[in-house]
Amino acid sequence: MKLVEALEILKCPVAEGASPFSVYLVSSFTPLHLQTFLAAKLCKANPELLVHISTGLYGDIRGNLTRMSQSNSSAAAIVLEWGDFDARLGLRSLGSWDPEAAGEILENAQQFAKFLDTLLRCMPVKFPVSISSPTLPLLPISPSPSWNSSKFELSLRLCVTSLLEAVSELENLQIVSSEQLDAASPITKRLDLKSEYASGFPYHLPHASELAHRHAKQLLPLNPKKGLITDLDDTLWLGILGEVGVDGISWDLEHGAQSHGSYQRFLQSLNRTGVLLAAASKNDPTIVREALQRSDLLLAGNVLYPIEANWGPKSESVNRILKTWNIAADSVVFIDDSPMELAEVKATHPDIECLLFQKTDPGAVLDLQYRLRDLFGKRRITQEDAIRQQSIRIAGSFRTDNGDGNVVSDDFLHKAEAELTLDFRKQPLDPRALELVNKTNQFNLNGRRWSDAEWLAYMQDTNSILVLVSYRDKYGPLGKISVLAGRKSGQSMEIDVWVLSCRAFSRRIEHRLIQELFHRFELKEIVFRFEATSKNGLLQEFLHFAIGQAPSPSVGLTRAQFDSINPVTYHNVLEPRHG
Amino acid sequence: MDDVRSRLIRCFAAVFPGLTPDQIPKAQPATVIGWDSVASVTLIAAIEEEFGVEFDVQEIANVLSFAKLSEYLRSLGTASAE
Repeated sequence: MKLVEALEILKCPVAEGASPFSVYLVSSFTPLHLQTFLAAKLCKANPELLVHISTGLYGDIRGNLTRMSQSNSSAAAIVLEWGDFDARLGLRSLGSWDPEAAGEILENAQQFAKFLDTLLRCMPVKFPVSISSPTLPLLPISPSPSWNSSKFELSLRLCVTSLLEAVSELENLQIVSSEQLDAASPITKRLDLKSEYASGFPYHLPHASELAHRHAKQLLPLNPKKGLITDLDDTLWLGILGEVGVDGISWDLEHGAQSHGSYQRFLQSLNRTGVLLAAASKNDPTIVREALQRSDLLLAGNVLYPIEANWGPKSESVNRILKTWNIAADSVVFIDDSPMELAEVKATHPDIECLLFQKTDPGAVLDLQYRLRDLFGKRRITQEDAIRQQSIRIAGSFRTDNGDGNVVSDDFLHKAEAELTLDFRKQPLDPRALELVNKTNQFNLNGRRWSDAEWLAYMQDTNSILVLVSYRDKYGPLGKISVLAGRKSGQSMEIDVWVLSCRAFSRRIEHRLIQELFHRFELKEIVFRFEATSKNGLLQEFLHFAIGQAPSPSVGLTRAQFDSINPVTYHNVLEPRHG
Repeated sequence: MDDVRSRLIRCFAAVFPGLTPDQIPKAQPATVIGWDSVASVTLIAAIEEEFGVEFDVQEIANVLSFAKLSEYLRSLGTASAE
């Protein structure tokens, strides 16, 4: 992005009702164009935000960090440079570079690292923080020639690396990848000495743009994709199953098929992070079943679910897979070695990300894995991630036992032995609640995405009520599947947030939850802060059914209205044990 | 409108969003509200990037107006620059 483009983005009027998003940008230099780029990248990433960037004082990194930790910002970006660790490592200081100064510089660097470590751990408000290690080249302080890594230089780098390694465990902290930044912004083209001396801004514009881009990505990350559909022949393995048979397919060095093996290994690791995997292959289903039972597959055969092996169009296979998974097409990636198949799927499912498996180009296959890691990447694996695949299978059994009908019979629900656990605790705040709110589309009251800080502030309001719902039945647990948050006022409750995971549809959980609210809080009316989105059709259907007309914003549902439409529910409702 | 002029207008419009198209060709620090040192640094950085040129720090003060910048860029032969 060019500076003029960034300025133009910031000139655009902000959408009405945009949520404020304030970022504290911490640096010891004049952030100038970095600030412009960061604001523009954040606006571009989410045009519904009203972005405001606060900055600190020139040359006061410790003071700026302290001010950041005490600010009411929504998030922070910390941009470190060598001069922050000791002024003599920066260009604007003329402090001594005598060899005997090295020990003192190192000591100061360690003290600063300790200060930063302590500050990051003690921040009173845990808002998202993005931090980058020094990006400019180390100045020629060490007596060693530049082609030699001196002990002094290695010690300084170790000091920074140790700091970042230690704070990487903090949940709210994300560290900019130096390796990725190096690839995008060559280290020799970062420092603008003329600008540093003239205005105190040390970066060439392309570097400032790249650095801002990475901080913005961390502060407003995209929701990770949820499912991957892979082709089999010449993709998951080398060879056409129908031609070479089960024993003829390969995925190892010996057969010149290492790329396929590395792809299998990658998919297996994706699956362990909760990514749904399925196969869509033009093949004979019997032979596919047999191939997937080969014990030397690096991808356990049972992690692919469902497996669509048939001779029909792949778009139809993808349709059925999406139906089984019950997730939106824009959460899915489709991989195939045939550009034609990719185009056919894309034509029917334009929201699916379709990526080519270039079987003859090992470099392209490795690049594909980097790309997939970015699309599916998540910083921590939750309990829900671990049971997601199992949940989908359970839902499959649920549908099969119910005769695959869309309307679930009373008899079936009665025998399902369903248990709903309603957790009303706001302390400690379960991170899964916000995660679910920010990624659920189909049954989502208004589609609003919340920042950590906004969510925390909402929960700190003493009038706010949070319900985190878990579900299990005789088929197994689905984990935490619904979040509802609102504010009670007299005998009325305003619901601001309500999501229900697609895995838990058709179980009348939504009805039971509303019923529980009416009873537990002795309500006469519930007001829904509803907003139609392009994806929340299921929520709209529910409200339409409940109130007897198309819902409008701030739609109210009285107890009498609800009682008249509420179907029989069979859930055993529990509350979690405290302590 | 020639290329240098239209690209320079774009830079001015981005840095000084309050200026109307009529006001830009007459823009100079004395007549533009908000044209301070930060705005000058931003304008020069945007122009340097847009035209692929580098200003001498000493000469910046002498070219700070739309007309002078336009003339200066032409003298550098940037009219055909992409």
